Amino acid sequence: MQKQMGNTTRSGNLAAIVTFVLILAIVLGIALLNAPTRGGPQVMASASSYLAEVGKTAIPFMIAVGILAAVLGGIAANVVRREWANPRRRQALIVGYSFLAPYLLVTLVFTVGVILFAFYISFTQYDIFSAPQWVNLENYAKAFRGLTDPIQKAFIQSLYNVFWYALIVVPIQTAAAIFLAVMLNRPMRFRQFFRMIFYAPSVTSSVVITLIFIWFYLKTGYINFLFAKVFGLVGLTWQNVNWLGDPRGLIQLVVQAFGGNIPSTQWYLRGPSIAWCAIMFQNIFTTAPTFMIMFLAALQDINPTLYEAASIDGASGWNQFWKITLPLLRPIILLVVVLGTIGALQVFDQVYLATQGGPLGTSQVPVFLVFSEALGKQGPIQMGYASALAFILAVIIFFFTFLQRRFLETGTEMY
Amino acid sequence: MSTTAKNVNLAPLGQANPRPARFYLSMALRYLVLIAIGLVLFTPFILATLGSFKTDAEIIAFPPKFLPQNWLVENWAKVWNTDLGQGGTFPRWLFNTAFLAVTVAVLEVIFCSMAAYSFARLKFPGRDLVFNFMLGTLMIPGAVTLIPGFVLMGKLHLLNTFWSLILPGMVSAGGIFMLTQFFKSIPSDLEEAALIDGASHLQIFKDVILPLARPALLTVFILQFQAMWNAFLQPLLYLNTPDKYVLNVALSIFQQQFKAQWNLTLVGAMFNAIPVLLLFFIFSRYYIEGVAYAGVKG
Repeated sequence: MQKQMGNTTRSGNLAAIVTFVLILAIVLGIALLNAPTRGGPQVMASASSYLAEVGKTAIPFMIAVGILAAVLGGIAANVVRREWANPRRRQALIVGYSFLAPYLLVTLVFTVGVILFAFYISFTQYDIFSAPQWVNLENYAKAFRGLTDPIQKAFIQSLYNVFWYALIVVPIQTAAAIFLAVMLNRPMRFRQFFRMIFYAPSVTSSVVITLIFIWFYLKTGYINFLFAKVFGLVGLTWQNVNWLGDPRGLIQLVVQAFGGNIPSTQWYLRGPSIAWCAIMFQNIFTTAPTFMIMFLAALQDINPTLYEAASIDGASGWNQFWKITLPLLRPIILLVVVLGTIGALQVFDQVYLATQGGPLGTSQVPVFLVFSEALGKQGPIQMGYASALAFILAVIIFFFTFLQRRFLETGTEMY
Repeated sequence: MSTTAKNVNLAPLGQANPRPARFYLSMALRYLVLIAIGLVLFTPFILATLGSFKTDAEIIAFPPKFLPQNWLVENWAKVWNTDLGQGGTFPRWLFNTAFLAVTVAVLEVIFCSMAAYSFARLKFPGRDLVFNFMLGTLMIPGAVTLIPGFVLMGKLHLLNTFWSLILPGMVSAGGIFMLTQFFKSIPSDLEEAALIDGASHLQIFKDVILPLARPALLTVFILQFQAMWNAFLQPLLYLNTPDKYVLNVALSIFQQQFKAQWNLTLVGAMFNAIPVLLLFFIFSRYYIEGVAYAGVKG
């Protein structure tokens, strides 16, 4: 008996050591892959040239990650040693982590590892071809310099644009989604068919929809044609608009109509541009059906006896909608609003294809800015700055996700 | 359920006469509205399909005509036969897109269901910690991992290979979360019986859980297939020779190349849209369940 105990302790110790070494090796391997070094063909020629480069530039990074790995490994080793004595729990531990292994490996390499790297380079000036140079918070400061210096306004303007986007698109798409869902949530023939047709724009690739809409928005396109027709009906003539190339802001247009003017140094007073509104409209078109499905699912969970009782009491359909349907949809409405806002902060495809951020930066968005700064589409490659922008965006998104959690919890309390 | 709702809506209780005239009128009105909405939402596809058969002049003529004067079927052939050089042909892009979408979706179903099994059915120290960590990664916006991912792929010599999209795409926190919730809803008596009979967890996973979870697996497969088929930013960044393009990237290059030839761009767009639309029409139930589940329960 005594001897057996000794054996399990010894094998437990061994397993703990193996765990520790394994975790250290994996994490350090990941750190090695993601070490912030000079890139380029010479460094990447062989493993040894890369290792030499890591030794030259990335030792602080490796040490920092190494400490993290040691702490993690120590905790894990302790758990393994504790669990090892009991065969059943030992087995659960092994089986559990074997099932998780592929997920953990992929996530550690391609999510956690790259984030460590990105976080590091966001404090440096980095263009792949030379070693990163530590610049403290310069990149983060630069992002907000547009507040005072109109020449560096790109990021501030992109936030300004997505702010308008969220303000206009989110309420409209939510209302449209509820409307579509309520229309479909009735006993009817061909319901399946209608549901599929309604949902079609949101299944298709955003590239496809965007291309079709660019074509619609041409000066000779269907949108101008539609406006010309409608104006023609009331006896007016319509001047064809170059929708995606028009930088005039909505507020600016109103001011101009009254004979005023907003100078370009006060771009932030001009409101969303016509080009940006065109992209917004297109997005409402594709996202409203997506959110419609969520509302449909929620509507089907509403107890039909509520409506029966209401109609016995003589409530009209309209009243039932405002007094029963909407309050019960509240949690989903909040969810959709927050998901919509998070989506608005991450618009990319439409901007890349339709406007490339133009005209005059009025359709600039954060993700497109990250993309073009990282690849040096506008001047030198600035990976550090691009990473800093991405982290600022992430913080904003975390903030909204946090709000979502809170709202959802208070929302569900109503039940 | 539908019959009670019908009674309530159409024949208020306590009224002997259901007023057939008003009933039919309101029904006709409702269908009219539905058809109108459906038409509006489907218009881009209809106009794009018609446009794809128009001539170069017709496609940008103002005012635009609804139907093409002559149906130019050769537009479709022209696009199918595009050759950008370096092996960049249209069938190749179609193959690349389909290959990536299927590969990523299959791998994801396998690895996500494994992880979900351990979250839903096994008990071991650190499980809830890893689960919460996974939920945390759900919040990370793609923009953060975009650039460092690109650098990492460069170091691994995987840029311009399909591995650069397959490897990071093998797992997704969203898929794992969905499957975990589904696995939890499967009654566990069957597995307990199997465990007593001496079956291993691998056997239970393979022979009990996976067959029972087939609808959920199909949902994850379809959602991931669609996500990969429609992916744009990552393929744009990672794949840069014409023989490696996916349809979306090729389309964006089309648009720049055929600046005025919108008819050809539209053909490309329809080639891209039709497979996904077909898939969706066939499996719409799974799509819709997936979206609703991911949203409402997530």
